Amino acid sequence: MMTPALIAAAALPLLQNGLVVGAILFSLGLVGILTRRNLIVMFLSAELMLQGISVSLVAWSRYHGDFGGQVLVIFVLSVAACEAAVALVFVLQAFTRTGRLDAAAWQSLREDNLDRTVDREIPALDASSPTFPRLTQAGNLPETDEQAALQRDHV
Amino acid sequence: MTPNVLLFAETPAGIDWFSPGVLLATAVTSLAVSLWLLLPKAGRSGPWSRRMGGLLGLLALGLFIVTGQRLGNLGEEAVLLTVSLVAVVSATATITCRSPVYAAIWFALCLAGVAGVLLVLGAQFLGVATIVVYAGAILVMFLFVLMLAQPSGLTTSDRITNEPLLSAVAGAVLLGLLSLSIGRLSAEEAACCRLPSKAAALSGAAATPTPATAEGFDLLAADQVARLGGELFGRHLVAVEAVGVLLLVALIGAIAIVSHGLEGDQAETSSLQEGRST
Repeated sequence: MMTPALIAAAALPLLQNGLVVGAILFSLGLVGILTRRNLIVMFLSAELMLQGISVSLVAWSRYHGDFGGQVLVIFVLSVAACEAAVALVFVLQAFTRTGRLDAAAWQSLREDNLDRTVDREIPALDASSPTFPRLTQAGNLPETDEQAALQRDHV
Repeated sequence: MTPNVLLFAETPAGIDWFSPGVLLATAVTSLAVSLWLLLPKAGRSGPWSRRMGGLLGLLALGLFIVTGQRLGNLGEEAVLLTVSLVAVVSATATITCRSPVYAAIWFALCLAGVAGVLLVLGAQFLGVATIVVYAGAILVMFLFVLMLAQPSGLTTSDRITNEPLLSAVAGAVLLGLLSLSIGRLSAEEAACCRLPSKAAALSGAAATPTPATAEGFDLLAADQVARLGGELFGRHLVAVEAVGVLLLVALIGAIAIVSHGLEGDQAETSSLQEGRST
């Protein structure tokens, strides 16, 4: 059981550590949303920033001994759920129009005085593609019925 | 991050290379370089540069840990350190991973770390709710959309990033400024807007800010989830209703966008064809 003196002594360092963790998560999310081109990874980065804010709010809530910060985080959670629903619908609509999840597919919406960005150097695919384990065969192959296989909708 | 106002403490022999300011500056610089090396980009981004980036990132993390404040409680310190390392490392992997599916999985691990941090900070309900709502619902929705839209895996746009150097520097500078101001936070400043405890408010002895005591500490009580619910549905009832309406509006809006989008596409193509035929 924590005594009141111990709580008061540990309050400020705990607040500072929580705030630093929140700041690191927020900055990483900012870098992600600035650089990445995949729409879904951009949304993941936005969620990362929201996580950083949540950690900071809970740290302040712990420091003040008040539930206000935690209540605010509950609202952040529900707004994030709404945002994800609407945003993913937008992403799907954008994908059906362009066929790509690339943010640069929408650069016709840029300002008039900006040049079109062109990918000059496209890095090659990694030669070290992941190697998946080969499973050993267990038992005999079942006999397949050719007639039944032809009548199935999907193979 | 000691509350030290002097950033670069000048000793008579010159600059003190182990003052917190110098350590923080080193941490920020190595963080920027490591993010730049780790981000997927054209040109020199072989496995060696990724390894260098990982090493520099670990150096930055170590410097942040060294300059951090001690909690004075070894068990709590170790748990907080572990869960925040999990959160930060997997957050870095989220934004640097080339494959979006791997990024989503790393984000799930990051959520586990964040839930641990929330539990250490005494928010039991929120720690569990983060796992249930984010990892259970939102992340699965992201993965659904990914597999619906991009089943073939990596595209070229996943291997290129926009302005990796500028963004890494911007993020690191933001982090440096934030941690500088957090380090300068002293007890008096942080307590300036502390609410008077409930007992003090009831007895009429107002406005003097009191340090948190065990009686005034609803947060760490055994029935803290019940108290959080009482606070949520008592003081914040109107906001709860508003959030309920917001959820409903988002649901209807998503359905409306899908159906109207399809109709709009058809109307657009038919009007284009009419324009061409006239």
